[in-house]
Amino acid sequence: MLEGGKIDGRQAVYLCITFVIATALLSLPGIVAAHAKQDAWISSLLATMIGLAVAGIVVKLGSLFPQQTLVEFTEEILGTWLGKLLGLTYLLFFLYIAAFMLRETSSFLNEIFLPKTPLIAIAIIIALLGAYTIKHGLEVLARVNQIFLPVIVASVIFIFLLLIPEMDPKRLAPVLEAGPQDIARGSLVPAAWIGEIFALTMVVPFLLKKRELGEIVLKSVLAVGTVFLLIIIGCIATFDSIIEFMIYPVLNASRIINVSEFIDRLEPIIMVIWVTGGFVKVTFFYYIIVLGSAQWLRLKSYRPLTLPLGVILVSLSILVGDNILEILHFLSGPFPFFALSFELLIPLLLLAIALVRKRWK
Amino acid sequence: MSKNKAYCPLVFLLVICCLLSAGCWDREELSDLAIILAAGIDADPAGVELTVQVVRPAAFGGGAERQGGQAQENDIWVVSEKGRTVYEARRMLKKKVPRQIYWGHNIIMVVGEDIAREGLRNVTNFFSRFPRARETTWVFVTPGKAKELLKSHSQLEDTSAQAAGNMARSAIGVAVMLKDLKMMANVKGSNPVLPRLELTPSGAPQGIGEYENIPGGDEQQFITKIHAETTTTGTGVFDDDKLVGWLDIGETRGLVWLRDEVEKGTVIIPSLTEADKRTSIEIKKGSTEVEPFYDGQNIWFDVSIKAEGDLLEQQSFEDVTDPKIFDKMEQALAQAIEARARECLEKVQDEFGVDALDFGKAFHRKYKKDWAQMGGKWNEHFSTASVNISVDAEIRHTGLESKRAPKE
Repeated sequence: MLEGGKIDGRQAVYLCITFVIATALLSLPGIVAAHAKQDAWISSLLATMIGLAVAGIVVKLGSLFPQQTLVEFTEEILGTWLGKLLGLTYLLFFLYIAAFMLRETSSFLNEIFLPKTPLIAIAIIIALLGAYTIKHGLEVLARVNQIFLPVIVASVIFIFLLLIPEMDPKRLAPVLEAGPQDIARGSLVPAAWIGEIFALTMVVPFLLKKRELGEIVLKSVLAVGTVFLLIIIGCIATFDSIIEFMIYPVLNASRIINVSEFIDRLEPIIMVIWVTGGFVKVTFFYYIIVLGSAQWLRLKSYRPLTLPLGVILVSLSILVGDNILEILHFLSGPFPFFALSFELLIPLLLLAIALVRKRWK
Repeated sequence: MSKNKAYCPLVFLLVICCLLSAGCWDREELSDLAIILAAGIDADPAGVELTVQVVRPAAFGGGAERQGGQAQENDIWVVSEKGRTVYEARRMLKKKVPRQIYWGHNIIMVVGEDIAREGLRNVTNFFSRFPRARETTWVFVTPGKAKELLKSHSQLEDTSAQAAGNMARSAIGVAVMLKDLKMMANVKGSNPVLPRLELTPSGAPQGIGEYENIPGGDEQQFITKIHAETTTTGTGVFDDDKLVGWLDIGETRGLVWLRDEVEKGTVIIPSLTEADKRTSIEIKKGSTEVEPFYDGQNIWFDVSIKAEGDLLEQQSFEDVTDPKIFDKMEQALAQAIEARARECLEKVQDEFGVDALDFGKAFHRKYKKDWAQMGGKWNEHFSTASVNISVDAEIRHTGLESKRAPKE
């Protein structure tokens, strides 16, 4: 096997939570509110439901192929050629997620905190750090994240607790003003993000106890859904429906915290969350691509692929969009359909075919 | 293991290098910054005129040396530039300001009357887009030019910007931050209100080197230097983003009651026994609930105000230890608060015809379906709505005295 390390259930849950909320944390409330206005929180509940469906598929596929990763079991299900093709498509999809996240992280840092530093310098530093982590394997990443996630969660809780004086629950009313269509439309992006836990199928073989898989995905989806819900409610209670015009509502929220002229200007905390979360997410998907490519090519070790794929990752992160508006437009437009077909539709087909073939035998 | 040890010094060196070079790319030295404490925006034939108060850090240092009658250095530098947009005016400022203009500490933003009447949206966008500008900046509107208002200093604070910021925080009138302004302008059923700030003659600075007040001296000596301090003098009421009128300070108190923004304040009630005497009550707590009603034709609002206060001054001699008298005083307090609220209500409903009270927000929350048709003409609906105000006032304490020592 290419990967010697093992991760336990808690580490897997932590990984899932980090790599989903890392993307969502800053921009989620704005993107959802663009469609659902002050009913954005209902959209996030809906998204959690869709996430649970993805979770179900992951568990089923995981129990059918406990010793294989996604890239390997697609061949098992669809035969060598078709399977290879689908495997490659998935690798490109993961590559795309990693590149997108890398771009978002570096773009945010570049725009808000380091305006004079070139975008690519930040991207290269994050990617190099990722490459170094990957060299040491999944287990190291999981352990690093075990340190990061509590910091992230504590920071988020800290920020939203201090925001309570600025909040007014009345701003959530009137409930259900947005039509069901708008609410459903608003739930697509968060659903696509929660659906990213489908990437877990790439690490199922490295779980210490495979029968914990169901518990792991359930816990992750529920935790992420709760975080989404709280962030959205917090932001709406703070800013009313005008969050739909903000690119980073959570950043704006952290900037207005002022506890008796004593605790204020807390946006460095946002930077901590964003950098650590972004790093874990980029590295996790980077790892999956490297590992998957090695399995796809049937190499004996994945390490030689790390740097070349890193170069592609960094270049792609610059190429995914010219500017933040293009990225946002893509995110709220085609992205959810694109992502959900990889996370929900194709997996559903795969599962169906696998079950049929199993009965055939 | 020994191989690893050989790497140790190298790694150590690398770490040290990283630590030393951290942040070099985006370093901003304090001595390269021109810190802005106040920004003012006025209309101009060219577009807008941006005025800023820039801190002179040299004057802030060495506090002890500045005392003792030496000529004071100026703390701030007020400088303006014109441009077609706010950002262009800011660029133009760079021709004069040799340092990098830094917005992170901007305390107040003042909008001149002429541009407020043209519409705020034209000029506020820069401040919510630009990452360095803070959404916690206090916003004021001034009759006349913002440029003139910024040319001022404060007796107690280092700059008039800090003084105005503290004034906003003490909440005599409405207190509005940029983020609040953005919400007021964009949330359904809400119109912006901004505190009105202007310079008024405020007392006479005294000290060595100042004119002295010598009774019977000739005129020159008798006149002391007059100081102008930035003063809260009411509220500017906006229709969407255009200034439509002013509320004076009394009406502003009514506005604050109706908008549920009361933190503290003073209410003067007539004495129960003597015609021209009064009693002062300090408001400690106040809250307001607005409940809208709509029967398909008429709109009305039930406003219930709760107030708690302390009796702190009596000109007459009622026996406040008598519960009956105490009750009557509480009623008088309630009446006084209602009168304040009515005064403001009449002005915004009849004179301006603008919902400056966020009643539309309450209506939208309760009648979301009707809002879809009525929201567009809400100000018209609002100005014809009837409002029932009920005040529940309580007096909690009477300071250090119970009843007053009677006249001999």
